[in-house]
Amino acid sequence: MRKKGSYFGWKLMAMVAGFALAFAFTLPEASAQQAKLKVGILHIGSIADAGYNQAHAEGVQVMKKNLPDVELIEIENVPEAADAERVMETMIKQGAKLIIPASFGYLDPALRVAKKYPDVKFEHPGGYKLAPNLGTYWASTPEAFYLMGIAAGRTTKTNKMGYVVALPISFFLANINAFHLGARSVNHKVETRVVFTGTFLDPPKEATAANALLDQGVDVLGVIVDSPITVVQIAEKRAAYSVGYHYLGVQKFAPKGWISGIAFTWGELYTRFAKQVMDGTWKSENKLGSLASDYLTIAPFGPAVPAEAIKLVNDKKQDFISGRAHAFPGPIKDNKGVERVKAGEVWPMTLLGKMDWLVEGVIGQPK
Amino acid sequence: MSSAGRALQLRKGKLASLARFGGLFGLAFVAFALVLLVFGKNPIRAYADIFLSTLGSAYGFSEVLVKMIPLILTAVATALPARIWLINVGGEGQLYIGALFATWGALNFNNSPAWILLPLISALGFLGGGLWAMISGFLRARGWVSETISTLLMNYVAILLLNFFVFGPWKDPESANYPQSAPFPDAAILPGFFGMRVHLGAVYALVSLILFYLVLSRTRWGLEMRAIGVNAEAARRNGIPLARYIMALMFIGGGWAGLAGMCEVSAIHGQLRPGLSPGYGYVGFLISWMAGGNAVGILAAAFLLAVITAGGDILQMAHRIPGSVVNILMALILFFVLARKAKGR
Amino acid sequence: MIGSFLGGLFVGSIHAGTPLLYATLAEAIEERAGIVNLGLEGVMLMGAVAGFATTVETGSAALGVLTAGLAGGLFNMLFGFLVITRRANQLASGLALMFCGVGLTALLGMPYIGSRIKGLNEIPIPFLSDFPVVGPIFFNYDILVYLVVPISILVWWVLFSTRWGLSLRAVGENPTAAFAAGKNPYILQYQALLIAGFLGGVAGAHLSIAIAKTWAEWMTAGRGFIAVALVIFSKWHPLRAIAGALLFGGAIALQLQMQARGVPVSPFLLDMLPYILSLAVLAVWGGARRHAAPASLGRVFQGTE
Repeated sequence: MRKKGSYFGWKLMAMVAGFALAFAFTLPEASAQQAKLKVGILHIGSIADAGYNQAHAEGVQVMKKNLPDVELIEIENVPEAADAERVMETMIKQGAKLIIPASFGYLDPALRVAKKYPDVKFEHPGGYKLAPNLGTYWASTPEAFYLMGIAAGRTTKTNKMGYVVALPISFFLANINAFHLGARSVNHKVETRVVFTGTFLDPPKEATAANALLDQGVDVLGVIVDSPITVVQIAEKRAAYSVGYHYLGVQKFAPKGWISGIAFTWGELYTRFAKQVMDGTWKSENKLGSLASDYLTIAPFGPAVPAEAIKLVNDKKQDFISGRAHAFPGPIKDNKGVERVKAGEVWPMTLLGKMDWLVEGVIGQPK
Repeated sequence: MSSAGRALQLRKGKLASLARFGGLFGLAFVAFALVLLVFGKNPIRAYADIFLSTLGSAYGFSEVLVKMIPLILTAVATALPARIWLINVGGEGQLYIGALFATWGALNFNNSPAWILLPLISALGFLGGGLWAMISGFLRARGWVSETISTLLMNYVAILLLNFFVFGPWKDPESANYPQSAPFPDAAILPGFFGMRVHLGAVYALVSLILFYLVLSRTRWGLEMRAIGVNAEAARRNGIPLARYIMALMFIGGGWAGLAGMCEVSAIHGQLRPGLSPGYGYVGFLISWMAGGNAVGILAAAFLLAVITAGGDILQMAHRIPGSVVNILMALILFFVLARKAKGR
Repeated sequence: MIGSFLGGLFVGSIHAGTPLLYATLAEAIEERAGIVNLGLEGVMLMGAVAGFATTVETGSAALGVLTAGLAGGLFNMLFGFLVITRRANQLASGLALMFCGVGLTALLGMPYIGSRIKGLNEIPIPFLSDFPVVGPIFFNYDILVYLVVPISILVWWVLFSTRWGLSLRAVGENPTAAFAAGKNPYILQYQALLIAGFLGGVAGAHLSIAIAKTWAEWMTAGRGFIAVALVIFSKWHPLRAIAGALLFGGAIALQLQMQARGVPVSPFLLDMLPYILSLAVLAVWGGARRHAAPASLGRVFQGTE
């Protein structure tokens, strides 16, 4: 019995090895014709998540449509800590000259890889550090969140609003602060509660957090996690209102309670990146988009939002675009009573990375 | 039988078992190919890509080595206590605590030069993992809790402890409130070879294997351990300090895992962050088990599994399969080895 | 004030604890038969994905739950083949099962990410749920929650009051003696694994069909391992498992409730408590081998073939 087994083992091994080698050498070239530019994008989750990742994925699809001779290397579910560097380097070895590491936590790995490959360009969404070949970009979402706050502040019936947020990253805190300030500007009685789940995606935990907030009498639920589906669904189920994020398509999960949402439509921006790399005009900078940019979109309003709220939102939007208004005008105190912005001053958008506090009237712990 | 004849028999036996393993791996590869076919993917292309991307280039090979380092260390962490039938499933937790201790050293002695700092945090990493494992060893030596259970439970505590530190006291004030520690000073980063990511930790891994082999086969301690392995009660009655061996082996085993944690945080990430290890502790356990606690076997198994897990990237990039599917291949290899091994007992 | 906090906490504990309880019951049955299954995580994932996919395709959550149970049971049979028939090392087999489950469900679940289902909704008990304070807290859950305590009692009764249960526990304590007494340990263990797999699959389905109503890779996030710890914590007893699941579920819910109220507490330190408590419980109540665990847990029956 044993002898038979070992012969069989050798034969099988030889067969497998033979096949592998044979096909390896007879394989055609990976790409039949040379693409003008290979772009690599890393996603932290699934591109079908109706949220953060899907927005990025659709962005590169638009880029590909606009620029047919760009080739795309795309990989999903890359964990932030362990494998991101290896994935980026593998893409570079495959010829990628533009890498989009599409998750906050990829920044440090990307910086390390960028140092090793100075002729490859990187564009990191939401990053706060630059390198000669690594630029960052994001849209100035606080202004958009301020608008959401206006709409929510006029729609809420209980004057209690809640946010389910992944991590207390400064940029997220800034969004919540702007939301609250916007709501307060049209409704002095509102309060906002924040619960952090501790991770970008954990649907059961988000569900528990959403329910915990609703148990507190919250009737407007906002969400800052990778996939807004869970929270929006729960809001709809418990007849609460919802504010979406990342992706326009999530509105269909809440036909009744949808207030509005902020979506990213990265397509044209990515097209611009690719063009710049191709014709050599790319430079490293921190691009902060605004409401006027083509990659930040306000979702259509749901049926529950009163018409006068919509008018207020549109007016304020014009103010933001024209520069007449600012998301964080002083005086502002944080929820521990410390004064953060003096009267007559504003918290500059360039310092969003340092905003590690929550505004007065927001119940939650950023630390 | 003459010693030459016996040596030949041993060689034949080893070759036969090697061939048997090869056959089992082959079966697993065929089974995985079938799985891929069912989902409409080309298995030959997939395998070719995996092997080419990992073994077909210097970079790919270096990445395999990078993955092997923590795998070997955690495998030894399991294999050593296994010699006296202690089951250490806690490699993951020991790895995390080692990383924690190492981080403390790097952050608090950040002005020291590399030749002080690196040995310091290495020692701290070893100490951390070792102490963590020794808790389980102590509970077992006293007859209170089986080490299988306690090491498993301690894994969860370790991961939560790390999260506590990076979300709280050690959160880097410069990182926009994102949960990660301040970056390690350059002096605390394990240097790599030839500009690749393969780092000095490879030396640690090799040393652990060599020591493991030597101690077991050439020293008195190895002899006593084997005696315990055969019959613990008799060994104890013959004066071998059983409790001391339990604690010592858990400590040393855990120490190697802790060193793996230090390597990961120092050489690969450069800072402490959640999700430090994608399950190295558990895979190490499986490697040790698959290799029968044998040093050469550990090396081979670690190599194979490193190739497979590193190959997951290319599957996603080129074939649109979730990278997670390499877990199926790994599981299939284990299934076949497990199914076959028991019969031959 | 306190009322709404406790109420919210209770509801959260029930939601978080129900899948844990199903999983713990599954593992308890297996371990009572002498088998440690570290791969429960994989079983739960198979249930979660099978249940979700079925619900998407057929629109019926009930069918989804059933399919989830069957998927879990079948998957566990694979494990059974390894550890019962092939007498393989249980820990390694379990871990292998887990890895297989993670990878396989990632593949199977790919087309279902982002799908919508009506799912398993709460069924408020008509009269009782209208009671002022206690109504919504106790009487407004989905069917799987309502069933979990009766099922726990059923499992307890079966294990401790039926011949089958007795034989099963005998196998877990001393398979040779059981064999000598005329029982077939193999068949009994397979049966245990089938039932356990069913319950584990249902646990996963509860996560994907009832709580989150979505599918994501590895969405069990370690709950299968928590169940293994829970079994130890409840000393292999189904009724104590109810309390244990409530406690562990409570820990998860507590930190989220505290946050919603603005109370500063470290969620991680809080989450650690259940594990430390489990260890303490074991250490205090004497060696696992002697007092609480089935004596032949983890060992392989070397009977005659």
